[in-house]
Amino acid sequence: MVVGQEVTRFLLQRLALGALVVVFASALTFFFVNLAPGGPASVMRFDVTAEQREALIKAMGLDRPVPQRYVEWLGAALHGDLGSSLLTNEPVATRIGDRLPNTLTLAGSALLISIVAGIPMGVVQALRRGRAIDHVLSLVSAVGLAVPVFWLGIVLILVFAVSLNVLPSAGVTSAASDTLADRLAHLVLPAVALATTILPTVVRFTRSSTIEALHEDYIRTATSKGLAPWTVVARHALRNALIPVVSAIGALVPRLLGGTVVTEAVFGWPGMGRLALEAAQGRDYPLVTGLTVVVAAIAVCASLVVDVAYTRIDPRVRLS
Amino acid sequence: MLGLARTYFRLSALVLVGTLVLSACTGASQPAASPAPSAQGAPVAGGTVTIPITADPTLNPWSPNAFVESLFINRAIFEGITKPGKDLAPAPDLAESWTTAADGLSWTFKLRSGVKWSDGKPFSADDVAFTFNDVVLKPELGAQNRASYAAVKSVTVVDPNTVRFDLSRKFAALPSFLAYNAGIIPKHVLSADPLKTTSFNKGVPVSTGPFKVEKYTSGQSVSLVRNENYFGPKPYLDKVVFTVVPDANTQIAQALSGDITIMILDNKAAVDRVKSASGLVVVSRPLVQYYWLALNQTDARFTDVKVRQAFVHAIDRQAIIKSVELGYGSIANSPITPALAAYYDPSLASKYPYDPQKAKDLLAQAGWKAGTDGVFQKDGKPFQFTMDVGQRGVLEPVNALIQQDLKKIGVIVDLNTMEWNAYIQKDVVRREYSATVNWWTYPSDPDVFPYYHSSAAGKGFNIPGYQDPKLDDLLVQGQSASDLETRKAVYKQLQAYTSETLPYLFLWYPQEIDVLSSSLKGVPELGLRDSMHYLGEWWLAKK
Repeated sequence: MVVGQEVTRFLLQRLALGALVVVFASALTFFFVNLAPGGPASVMRFDVTAEQREALIKAMGLDRPVPQRYVEWLGAALHGDLGSSLLTNEPVATRIGDRLPNTLTLAGSALLISIVAGIPMGVVQALRRGRAIDHVLSLVSAVGLAVPVFWLGIVLILVFAVSLNVLPSAGVTSAASDTLADRLAHLVLPAVALATTILPTVVRFTRSSTIEALHEDYIRTATSKGLAPWTVVARHALRNALIPVVSAIGALVPRLLGGTVVTEAVFGWPGMGRLALEAAQGRDYPLVTGLTVVVAAIAVCASLVVDVAYTRIDPRVRLS
Repeated sequence: MLGLARTYFRLSALVLVGTLVLSACTGASQPAASPAPSAQGAPVAGGTVTIPITADPTLNPWSPNAFVESLFINRAIFEGITKPGKDLAPAPDLAESWTTAADGLSWTFKLRSGVKWSDGKPFSADDVAFTFNDVVLKPELGAQNRASYAAVKSVTVVDPNTVRFDLSRKFAALPSFLAYNAGIIPKHVLSADPLKTTSFNKGVPVSTGPFKVEKYTSGQSVSLVRNENYFGPKPYLDKVVFTVVPDANTQIAQALSGDITIMILDNKAAVDRVKSASGLVVVSRPLVQYYWLALNQTDARFTDVKVRQAFVHAIDRQAIIKSVELGYGSIANSPITPALAAYYDPSLASKYPYDPQKAKDLLAQAGWKAGTDGVFQKDGKPFQFTMDVGQRGVLEPVNALIQQDLKKIGVIVDLNTMEWNAYIQKDVVRREYSATVNWWTYPSDPDVFPYYHSSAAGKGFNIPGYQDPKLDDLLVQGQSASDLETRKAVYKQLQAYTSETLPYLFLWYPQEIDVLSSSLKGVPELGLRDSMHYLGEWWLAKK
């Protein structure tokens, strides 16, 4: 019971802290984006006269001071109202809600690919340190880290959609057949492209922490007990090696979400990343702020999950 | 995020080269010539056409948020009083005929009878009056394109099939302007909130054209199906799908894989790759568009016409057309484009040959002296200024070429590259600039009053702020003359005068490159966005 209380107290503390982070992020974003040069896309058009600009600014309420607008925004946001998009007049929550599942699907798949492929790759490299396979996989990681996602994306499209014609080139679904198989087929290329933004990091972390773990005394003990090498790795080394990897993955979530901006544009994937790009280019102030709040909340939650996962993997870590 | 986007777009040109090389290696075999798009045969019904757009459209022609990606669908589903004819002259759309009053201060339009909205409700003159009186002419709504109707006082319903536009001054180009993004919107749906009704703008709007919206899926696609209530002949196509594909290179890949039926090739660097693909046809189309270099007339150095003429001689415009447009364009020396064939004066095309020596002579005549370093100076100050570069389309390479050309004659240009939105604020809203390159696209009529009249200097579309009573007079004459021959004569004078005085430095008239499936027929020889007015005539040959 004491442990249960401890966990609850810990979670509450972290949640309160997380909420503060989110509010702080919203304030920073709101002020920065409002003070950035330019203005809402409808106002910053080439073919709009001074008179139209004035009418639009007034209609959007942007003639009032920024601090006053922020206080009003925060008041409404605390009641669950993130305001209305300046570009479409739709509620910000609706616009984000439409796109969030797509981004979570894409980012989640990319994360899954990175974990499922990255950890074995890292372990293999650690076990075959200095051998050919280690060098080859290192090279693959380095290339993966260096190649820009938009380039890789176009190459994947040209190879798999144009030349081989085995996978669809863009979108989440075909207009004609909207089945699970069709959706999965659409997911493959963008998920692979996005995975390359974090996969090399996962591989490297796994490799170095596995190498470190293999040098620990308990591994020598386990080996000398006569355990099979794979059992030693899987049961003893990996368990400890994964601790830094888990925390690295938590830290990679924001990078993954950043990567969606470009991936979603290349693959015409209707997610939050593309929405964020449109919102920033069009100076859709409420939408930019709303998106930042949502992404900040996701990042806070991810780090919370990592902290909890830590305690499961490593009993030495206490919640305090 | 903006930095990321900037890098992304800047690199996309580079990417294309790489990917084209790669696709050439992996690509399928490439048969030579494809059949011409105008191949004969009787039209057949059926099939789906897919067209890419770069972002979610706003399905209301008057919304200030209806950007260029919205034009395709808005022109396909909403009908205007007129539409651009296949010769670009105004043609009947919702109106059957029109006349102007003897004093030129009103236009009367006879509307078609029996027209219905896509929801089955009858269309009438009340909808036209609503669109203008309650939307366009209401200053507080800030409707898109309202500046085009500055001369319109109000619209009066004469009878259910007749409307009259009452003007404060003569406006001969009104029928042409009404053909340009001026779709009539339904009073019975939008009277409560004409520009911000989300179920309309981002859902299923009520319209009068041959097609209507079937489904709007944010971030993905908008599909159109036949409007069963359409007054005209039944369109051939079963369905038209506009897919949202923001990336220009992905669009090209989709055309190559057959996922896209027709598209505008914005990235002309890919034209050879597309030409060599089987099943695709590449065509060039005229545009009512010209690129210009504006020299801010509040800067005393640019008010001397000799300086402006020197710059035009110094800029190798043919080289620009060749390198950034791959030859798809022609040299401009006036605002009237070759697409407006009835008015365009081709004799001006050779007025300013590329001639750096002549440019230097003209600068010398304007009182500039070459220093020992070859840079022109006056009162001990070098001829040096900054050109603001908006990040869009071909503007970045064009500015770099102009910078080189001016350097060759001894004028120093610094380039200040800016994200588009911030650029508009600095150069267009605040007019805080010395020189900048951009383009105008305008209704298919030579009435360029809004871009040149001195009343538009500083705050309207007169970007350089050039003011000249003689030019003002010509612009007003053009608006006042209602018969074609008189207008032709006036606009011929206007072309000659603007080519001499150079309110803007005219650069080139671009052409559009369209890529289409060889099975797609019936598309008129217009820019793709203008062709949307004729979507009912498109058809797909059976394979």
